[in-house]
Amino acid sequence: MSAFVYNRRVRDAFWQVAVWAAVVGLIAYFVRNASENMAKAGIASGFDFLGRTSGIELPFLLTRYTPQSSILDLLWAGVVNTMTVAFIAIVAATLLGFALGIARLSRNWLLSSLAGGYVEVVRNIPVLFFVLFWYFAVIAALPGPREAIGIFAVAFLSNRGLTVPTPLATGAFAAAALASAISIAAQFVLAAWVRHRRNRTGRGFPLWTSGAVLIAGVPLVAFAAAIAATPWDTPVLRGFNYRGGFVLIPEFVALVAALATYAAAFIAEIVRGGILAVPKGQLEAARALGLGPGQVLRLVVIPQALRVMVPPLTSQYLNVLKNSSLGAAIGFPELMNVFVGSALNITGQAVEIIAITLAIYLVIGLAVSALMNWYNAKVALVTQ
Amino acid sequence: MFIRGAVLGAAVMGLLPAVALAQQLAPSPTLDAIKARGHVECGVHLGLPGFSFANDKGEWSGIDVDFCRAVAAAVLGDAGKVKYTPTSVQQRWPVLQSGQVDLLSRNTTITFSRNASLGVNFQGINFYEGQTFVVRAKSGAKEPKDLDGAAICVAAGSTEEKTAADWYAERKLKVTIVNFQKNDDAIAAYDAGRCDAYTAGLGALAGQRIKLKQTGEHVIMTETISNDPQGPVTRQGDERWQAVVRWTLNGMIAAEALGVNSRNVDEMKAKSANAEVRRLLGVEGNFGQLLGLSDDWIYQVVKQVGNYGESYERTVGMGSPLKLARGKNELWTKGGLLYTPPFQ
Repeated sequence: MSAFVYNRRVRDAFWQVAVWAAVVGLIAYFVRNASENMAKAGIASGFDFLGRTSGIELPFLLTRYTPQSSILDLLWAGVVNTMTVAFIAIVAATLLGFALGIARLSRNWLLSSLAGGYVEVVRNIPVLFFVLFWYFAVIAALPGPREAIGIFAVAFLSNRGLTVPTPLATGAFAAAALASAISIAAQFVLAAWVRHRRNRTGRGFPLWTSGAVLIAGVPLVAFAAAIAATPWDTPVLRGFNYRGGFVLIPEFVALVAALATYAAAFIAEIVRGGILAVPKGQLEAARALGLGPGQVLRLVVIPQALRVMVPPLTSQYLNVLKNSSLGAAIGFPELMNVFVGSALNITGQAVEIIAITLAIYLVIGLAVSALMNWYNAKVALVTQ
Repeated sequence: MFIRGAVLGAAVMGLLPAVALAQQLAPSPTLDAIKARGHVECGVHLGLPGFSFANDKGEWSGIDVDFCRAVAAAVLGDAGKVKYTPTSVQQRWPVLQSGQVDLLSRNTTITFSRNASLGVNFQGINFYEGQTFVVRAKSGAKEPKDLDGAAICVAAGSTEEKTAADWYAERKLKVTIVNFQKNDDAIAAYDAGRCDAYTAGLGALAGQRIKLKQTGEHVIMTETISNDPQGPVTRQGDERWQAVVRWTLNGMIAAEALGVNSRNVDEMKAKSANAEVRRLLGVEGNFGQLLGLSDDWIYQVVKQVGNYGESYERTVGMGSPLKLARGKNELWTKGGLLYTPPFQ
């Protein structure tokens, strides 16, 4: 018996089970307590509200949501908007952050102090202020719809957003994409054949010319033909605003710009730290081998710096995701705005709505973490 | 033995009045809590001139704030004993439901679904509101239907958001509705040119208009697209507290109907021969005690805050920058909708 109690595996299993039971029990207690108290106070509870008609108009949509759709569809529209903004902002912030981080290490005094100044200023501004600043800067910079800036008379830029034409049918585009894919594949097949023949006979082939035709020319012609063949919903100024087409609203542009330029300042410092963490001897050795400055950066510095950079980068990406909720302050219909803002007020079911929103942020956040951890494992030093 | 019995008897005798009183009154945890802490916790708007607005010294004023003060005067005998909790459109319900405030008095529209699913009760109407729009004068829009194609800024989660969407959908007109977290954010975006119109209640707009940079360039439409009766809100349960809130509002309206105001209230209390006035001001009957208050509760309200009409004129009416006519918010005898059950 005592052998059983002192068995290490038994004890480990016991503690695992005990901790899980405590956590589950605690959650169950809170859920029960909340639902009992809500029932006592006459507050509606449950998740039935998700099936109700929402009746909320959204100014920016990537899903097929309409005000006649259910609140669940409203939630999904918000999630898609949040993920779109976060994804674009993360990509832009990474590019800008890398450029700034490398610029800060430049031997050019002007470049490095400009990058340093940017980082210091942006890092010390509260992010909400930054979002509002971008928003009002974007709106103020653009003219009203009647004085909109026309782009080839089909797209129009005003303080109501960038209105672009939308295709009314997608068939021609699918055909063009297929033609392009076949054409690009043909170039690869051709390249393989040319290599094979050169190895055998030594005869050359104008591969660059064929590449220009097959990779650039054919898709260009195919898409141009598709554009011409497709009927378009072109925006027209009527009354207050442009009708038709798709509107990229200023809230979207402002939010992406604010999140990207804000996170870029932090990413720049992570990049700088990562590069400085590469031992000097590595650089000297690389130069001694005769590698050029670009090659040193690409083949020696970046691969080693990435190992240091990836974990803090993950935190920054998660920050961008979470800060996207500030879109609520400038009227961008992301998750917080449509769900915790509008849906909460038409249903009043605060506990359920906050719980769902938390769960969604958690799931997206954990997915980003998992992806970054996978990447981290890939770039990590392989040790025995 | 005899001594012990006498002590017990005396103790029982001493307890009797307390027991009798407790039996008369239903328990009211909210009233008890207010009396114990010495002030009323009142949920108001973040800042809406004429309704709830804090000046640069942090002093609150407005018709909704006046009602908070009236409740404090009725319960504690001092209109100043109020702690204001500014709430956004979205915060107001959790703040009330969780018990953080005793009542909400912040131009909140009475709707069926709020009453049925939020665990709250509406205690009467202190402002008959109707939704309309503010537009730039040069846009040429005169009525709500002229806004076809327009972008409209609104606070997310307000009744206005849904009313506007419903109203334009019904008429097959296309508008773009941009939702902001706070009224002020929506107004700022409208002012910056993001939207062609900002929508809110007619009275609220009269107050919010001063937040626009060039006030003269904007016009408020006179046609309304909704009925938005607004009034104080309490949690469900605690019936006695709900009655206090409801009858404080009724008392303010009754005082106006009976000609009692802050200037003549002392004279009325001393000399009025009208039985209802005498009951209202606590000269006759024990109406205050029936709710667990002092009998002069409405006297204190009228003396310190004024009757409904005085409060209206001072905050949103002709005595204020908003200059709103009484309109529907006039006594029924003078063509308005205000009508109160008798103090009998």
